[in-house]
Amino acid sequence: MIVDPNFTTEMREMLMRQYGLDQTLEVRYILYIQGMLTWNFGYSFASNKLVTEEMIPLLANTVMLLGAALVGTILVGIPLGILAASRRGTKVDVIAIGGGLLTWGVPTFFIQLLFMFFFGYYLKVTYNWTVFPVAGMHSVPPPKDPLIYMADVAWHLAMPLITLVVASFGSWALYTRNLLLDALTQDYIVTARAKGLSERTVLYRHAFRSTLPPMVTMITLSIPAIVTGAMITEYIFSWPGIGRWYLSSLSNADYPVVQAVLYIYALLTILGNVVADILYGLLDPRIRVGMRR
Amino acid sequence: MSSLLSPENWKLLSIKIKSFWEDYRRNKIGLLGLATIILYILVAIFGPWMISWDPTRDTRLAQRYAMPEWITILPQYSDYPRTMRIPIYWNVTAKSELIDASWGEQLKLNYIGSEAGIASIYAMSNFTFPYKVAPKSFHITFLWKASRVKNLTYSIHLGMVNLTNTKQTLWWTDRNKNMSESAFVNSEGIDTLIRLNLDVVSTDLAGTIFSGPGEYALALRVTFMSSTEHSTAEISFSEGELRIMGLVHGLLGVDQYGRDLWSQLITGVRISLIIGLVAAFLSTSIGITVGVVAGYLGGLTDELSMRMVDILLCIPMLPLLLTLMYIYGKSPFYLIIIIALFYWLGLARIIRSQVLSLREMPFIEAAKAAGAGKFYIIFRHLIPNTLPVAFAHMVLAVPGAIILEAALSFLGFGDPATSTWGRMLNHAFNHGAFTRLAWWWIFPPGLAIVFLCMAFVFVGHAVDEIANPRLRRRR
Repeated sequence: MIVDPNFTTEMREMLMRQYGLDQTLEVRYILYIQGMLTWNFGYSFASNKLVTEEMIPLLANTVMLLGAALVGTILVGIPLGILAASRRGTKVDVIAIGGGLLTWGVPTFFIQLLFMFFFGYYLKVTYNWTVFPVAGMHSVPPPKDPLIYMADVAWHLAMPLITLVVASFGSWALYTRNLLLDALTQDYIVTARAKGLSERTVLYRHAFRSTLPPMVTMITLSIPAIVTGAMITEYIFSWPGIGRWYLSSLSNADYPVVQAVLYIYALLTILGNVVADILYGLLDPRIRVGMRR
Repeated sequence: MSSLLSPENWKLLSIKIKSFWEDYRRNKIGLLGLATIILYILVAIFGPWMISWDPTRDTRLAQRYAMPEWITILPQYSDYPRTMRIPIYWNVTAKSELIDASWGEQLKLNYIGSEAGIASIYAMSNFTFPYKVAPKSFHITFLWKASRVKNLTYSIHLGMVNLTNTKQTLWWTDRNKNMSESAFVNSEGIDTLIRLNLDVVSTDLAGTIFSGPGEYALALRVTFMSSTEHSTAEISFSEGELRIMGLVHGLLGVDQYGRDLWSQLITGVRISLIIGLVAAFLSTSIGITVGVVAGYLGGLTDELSMRMVDILLCIPMLPLLLTLMYIYGKSPFYLIIIIALFYWLGLARIIRSQVLSLREMPFIEAAKAAGAGKFYIIFRHLIPNTLPVAFAHMVLAVPGAIILEAALSFLGFGDPATSTWGRMLNHAFNHGAFTRLAWWWIFPPGLAIVFLCMAFVFVGHAVDEIANPRLRRRR
């Protein structure tokens, strides 16, 4: 918000009224809560547009990136974990463990910078071969044909998505593997094997099924980290999402935007928690309310 | 509490440490991690002796984005110039009788003419430029001072003479009064090019002057033009330096302001280690305290603190950290505090559940029966029993804190006065290291983070295997 330091008293009062600063603190707090509940975050200082209006398309982009990354990570991580557990001590196992340790020790943004260096710049500068675009969500100007447009967006999404999956599949694989190994030592597995069930049935129907509830907890707990990771990802790949918007607003002291994005982040996290709780109930019959035997 | 430090306790402790070490030294990964950490600590301690420049203050060490010096091993880079800092040493080559001069590192001119007229003096400062490839720029700095100027105009011309004896003027001034000025001439500076009436976009001044290895000279001409009698003037030049900006520099080249990247990398070790270790230690302390107190006291305390943990676990940490740092300041001190305040959550939960089972154990009951107070039980019995798990957590919290700091600095929210690895990556990302394929700028800070964090992960893994009874059985 930039104003002339010599501005008049009337102007000052007008601005005070506009931002509700003439009210008492209590009233302002109630108005703030009311604004949060009704999705009214006021006007951005930088663009003078309604924050909500500006946020919706950006939020959609972020959710697209986050959702794709989450699905990708699960699709790579959990099968790898199952493979590692069922073939303990083989190469697959080593990959799962190594990937897991890698997530602890390697910052996501460094993996992304490495990918960007090799696929975005090195191949382009040395061999004039554009594997992936380094910035943005679509080509400039965007293609007119909707099908080509979608392919174009997917092409731009590829590198952020791949790097996010590479950076986080390991911890999933490791977690799945450890849970499954724990489950495979249980007595009911011995029983299942003794019954003459195939190893496949034992693994999927008996062992894997019982690891699902803690896995869902893990998904829940990882949501804040994924949201955080998406912020840096958006910054690196210039993905037009709310994380990048948040960073630039923070440097511009655009407080309505900062408040709104923090609120959205908290909301996404809580939403993830709720979904996980519901899933938990579906997966683990023991904790279903009103279904006690 | 004095009993904690009694001789038999020390003995017990030393036995425990010895047996722990016996277990630990059999773990190869753990040893590798430990060795790496020790190496980093040595670098952190002896860092100031491993660097020759200040990582943030010493700018203009070489042409910006200069490559590492060892790249000259490759034939295509072997003739690239290094940075040359040549002190200017003036030799007067020709002068009018009306001027009295003394020369050397300082050139002093005294106009002693007594009638109207024109008098000139020529001075040269020779130097050898040994490289085949021309530099991209050079800087000339000197102090000049004119005093006792009376009834005359003087003009000073500074130029450079190259092999083919063509002279390129670089700087001049015409004055008629006393002056004292520190002159700075940047051969690719827009002000210089405009003053010389050259095209600011396409002119490569250094490239046209330095046509090959050989003798070059800085040339100076001072002319006094007096109009009347009794005119005097004294002009002196001192502290002159010609700096030819090298295209290769040091072990890792330089950044966009010509600052030494190796110094930045080595200085970063200390910051990262301090932030990682202190934040991990603080957060572990908070985690132990909250966990033990909540678990042992139970009731409302337990309920309140665990709900607080639940709420804080829901909050994405990075955006909140960024906001807090934006409001409260960017110093590493705040960063440590903020990281510590958000990293204890998981540990508090684990410790609490441990204490819940510990407090039902017979030895706690015995202590209670013997009349031990709450604090005595907490400090003497509960905390020591949770230490192995807490230690494993602390070791694993270090990489978390280091990566978080790096991420904050990478996003540009770090302390501008300290050089950290995240900041190096931020500069590399935002100032064109990628388009220049300057991998020597991008890889070292990232790999430094990776190796340090992996070392802590290895140690944590090893400690966990020894301290965690469940994993131990499996081995």
